[in-house]
Amino acid sequence: MSKSLQAGRRAGKGQSRHYLLRLFIAGNGQNSQTALANLRGLCREYLNGRCTIETIDVVKDFEAAVRDNILVTPALILVDPRPRVMVLGNLSDLPKVLAALRLSGTES
Amino acid sequence: MHGKRRPIPKVATQIAGLDQILEGGFPRGRTTLVCGGPGSGKTVLGLEFLCRGAMAGQPGVFVTFEERAGAIRMNARSMGWNLAALEKAGKIAIVEARLPGEEVRSGDFDIQGMLAIVGGHVKRIRAKRIVMDALDVLLRIYDDLNRERNELFRLHDWLTDRGLTSVLSVKSHRDDAQQMSQYEFLDFMADCVIRLDHRVVGQVATRRLRVIKYRGSGFGTNEYPYVFGEHGIVLFPLTTAELTHQPLGPKVSTGLKGLDLMLDGGFRRASCVLISGNSGAGKTTLASTFAHAACRRGERVLSLNFEESKEALISGMLSPGIDLRPAIRARKLLFQTAMPESIGSDGHLGRTILALDSFKPNHLILDAVSACLRMGSEQAAFDFMMRLISVVKERGITSILTNQVNGQTSSDEEISGVGFSSVVDAVVQLRFVETDQEVNRQIFIVKSRGSAHSNRRQAYVITNRGIEFTDKPQPPPVRAGSAGRKDGGK
Repeated sequence: MSKSLQAGRRAGKGQSRHYLLRLFIAGNGQNSQTALANLRGLCREYLNGRCTIETIDVVKDFEAAVRDNILVTPALILVDPRPRVMVLGNLSDLPKVLAALRLSGTES
Repeated sequence: MHGKRRPIPKVATQIAGLDQILEGGFPRGRTTLVCGGPGSGKTVLGLEFLCRGAMAGQPGVFVTFEERAGAIRMNARSMGWNLAALEKAGKIAIVEARLPGEEVRSGDFDIQGMLAIVGGHVKRIRAKRIVMDALDVLLRIYDDLNRERNELFRLHDWLTDRGLTSVLSVKSHRDDAQQMSQYEFLDFMADCVIRLDHRVVGQVATRRLRVIKYRGSGFGTNEYPYVFGEHGIVLFPLTTAELTHQPLGPKVSTGLKGLDLMLDGGFRRASCVLISGNSGAGKTTLASTFAHAACRRGERVLSLNFEESKEALISGMLSPGIDLRPAIRARKLLFQTAMPESIGSDGHLGRTILALDSFKPNHLILDAVSACLRMGSEQAAFDFMMRLISVVKERGITSILTNQVNGQTSSDEEISGVGFSSVVDAVVQLRFVETDQEVNRQIFIVKSRGSAHSNRRQAYVITNRGIEFTDKPQPPPVRAGSAGRKDGGK
């Protein structure tokens, strides 16, 4: 518990950290397209582009879905910085996504 | 419609009795819904369908939303199916679909990820069958009934597009209104709907299977009892039992010369004989005498005992000089003992049928009918007896039932036992007769279908050499019109 709190604080402070985000989508579905657009917007506005978005289409690469146990799409995994976090859905609820990625409070 | 309905293609489940009820099996390339409460056997049903398919060359994918793959493998192993080997051979794939729990949700999502994973496995092993176990868990990720339905439609289309013969299982709780509406929708979507019911009657668990609907096919509409046998689910579709009873066969010795004489040669094979009497009158001794003699002739006897352990029975029979041990050693005599209240009447019937299948006895002894009442209720005992007698008669097996009666009841009441007198072919009554000086035992043939029998009460004693008649037993009286009858073997 305290470990993750510490990690969270560090991530909040270290505004120059680079983010690795893995987004699982399924083909060209509406939710997938929305999620990708939302994530790109978030990267631009809240991370000043300090992020890499790794997009995996589970329809094309089911082994990748098996590896990360991705049963629903879209699904976003914050790979780095640690700890790992997963957010499900098309990411349309921005405040929720920011909170999950420990980016709340950095938008001001 | 009439005469024009083409039979829809089906996939045999090879689950004992189920294909008979489903008139061939599950609908090929379509969806079957199996619902039932916890412990009703949904997982086992799905597993058995998959394993039997895989062993017959039809690969299948098992998607588990609730249990771990390891637990599924163990479950299968207890039924004698080696999942790991089938997985290795590429005949079965287990997909552990552990759904997100605490993850953050933001916006809409769908089950494409799962379909991709499952689809990958389907392709890899060229699956023809698929089981999705505990689908209700998948539905729980949505709070929205409409979204659930959309996803179910998506799933249903996906399965149908791939031509998979699918079994979806859902947990059901009867008193959940919202859940009921979900299942109505599922019921509508599936082509075949099966309900498993696990209930407790008179403190004894019973399981029943019912087919709710089957699009484009007929099906057995009754509730069918089922049990978990050693190798999977066993159902008892006793739809035509009465029509296939074997006719009564030739005479078979009772093991007692005197009694054979009274019965004009003995009992008839494939008949149902009831030995009734008070406690201590010698019912078990008489039945054991029969078993002993049959085994010595090289025939096989299955002995069901609901009152005594095998050991107690064997040692108890040594006193009247009946040593059953050689017959047991020679595998001619098989004991199956159980507390009547232990597993319920369906369980007892299942065990017995499995024993009949593997041991293939010539004769069956059941000691005692009166103990069967402890299976739960009079109805349970009646069901058990009727079904059991039906099954043994179908197979031409002689059955010897003992029934304990209390006090000095009239013979009519004694025959009725738990109310199955119509299927009993012969009744032997043992009773005590008190005089001033002593208490004596008497044997009397109340009825013997398809055979002449003595009309006399014969006194007997139980010595260390078994049952012995004190007077010379009399053969049946020679009636007018039965000229040429042999002389009773005098």
